[in-house]
Amino acid sequence: MKNLFGQLSLNQKIAVVTLLLGLIAIFAGNPYQGNYTRIDAKEIALIVQKELDHITAEELADWIIKEKSDFRLIDLRSENEFSEYHIPKAENIQLIDLNNYTFLPTEKIILYSEGGIHSAQAWFLMIARGYKNVYMLKGGLDEWKEKILFPIISENATPDEIKNFERIKEVSRYFGGSPQTGKIEDIRVKKELPKLEMPAQGSPQTGTQKKKKKEGC
Amino acid sequence: MNAPFFKYGYFGDDLSLVVAFIIGIGFGFFLERAGFGSAKKLTAQFYFTDMSVFKVMFSAIVTAMIGLYYLGVLGLLNLSLVYLTPTYLIPQIIGGLILGIGFVIGGYCPGTSCVAVSTGKIDALVFLIGVIGGIFVFGEVFPLLKVFYYSSNMGNLTLPQLFNIPYGLVVFLVVLMAIGGFMGAEYVEKKMKK
Repeated sequence: MKNLFGQLSLNQKIAVVTLLLGLIAIFAGNPYQGNYTRIDAKEIALIVQKELDHITAEELADWIIKEKSDFRLIDLRSENEFSEYHIPKAENIQLIDLNNYTFLPTEKIILYSEGGIHSAQAWFLMIARGYKNVYMLKGGLDEWKEKILFPIISENATPDEIKNFERIKEVSRYFGGSPQTGKIEDIRVKKELPKLEMPAQGSPQTGTQKKKKKEGC
Repeated sequence: MNAPFFKYGYFGDDLSLVVAFIIGIGFGFFLERAGFGSAKKLTAQFYFTDMSVFKVMFSAIVTAMIGLYYLGVLGLLNLSLVYLTPTYLIPQIIGGLILGIGFVIGGYCPGTSCVAVSTGKIDALVFLIGVIGGIFVFGEVFPLLKVFYYSSNMGNLTLPQLFNIPYGLVVFLVVLMAIGGFMGAEYVEKKMKK
């Protein structure tokens, strides 16, 4: 046997060895050590600490008003909740389906859920899968309702606050919300969620809206 | 688990450039030693008179495959950290065809043109200027191509996933394919040289 191997040319020897290694490979098992992924814990901690992992309801509202299209807004809630109300432009992808969903590496992805917990968990899963451009809506839909749809100003607000509230009111009306004035405890009005239609594009209201926003900034 | 070295932080960005330089020199050296600094040798591949390109490249693929497989099995290499090029099927087929056409016309592929420039070949220098011009044009028109460029995205697809067969079996089948390919290449060479 040894003699036979010795008679082969170098190329043939290499071929025999390669073939043997290939044969052993069939029985040697999976080279991936389990189905896990590694994350850079320090990098993630830094992102979170520097608050680079989220955007606020006001920022998102601003983007939608300005008709920015460089992001995808993902609603993680159930289909029923989604059909009842969702932020304009949102797509409904459930947390469990998100794992099998492939985004473009360049896409900016904004995640939101009812509060902030599900979106934070989804954010972590997305980061673990290697997506860099993922953000969550701070405070989730709760904060969106509180800040954008039903903003409240107290009766004894300072003139500055009142001036500022004018701007907030316009943003709120754009999204079909109902801004309210008065003592927070007094307001027990049933909050009607806006219907699922965007206001007509390019209406005069939108025009003044943009102008006002610029002044505010 | 102690590899891949860069991702495990054994060296930083600065040193990685040095490592890349050394590996690059090594890659170029062996391409030159294989005779790939010559457009005549490279284009002979397409006329089936000299199958060196096929043999060298397939040897490299099989060597890397067996090496990575066994390092992974032995637990020395974390394969899940090794970069996989995502599959964008249609754009990659079109890109491969364009590269192949350029290869036949110009006599070089991008890597071998650099090798040939380093040994002072004028045709390779012209080719390399064309490559750089092409990179510039591509960069400028990229916004127009972007949608197509990212179309038919299939993620980080591997053969074991695609065919749903064990990883080791794929290794064995590729080895068989390589040996069959080498024997076929020798046969074709003899036939074409007659």
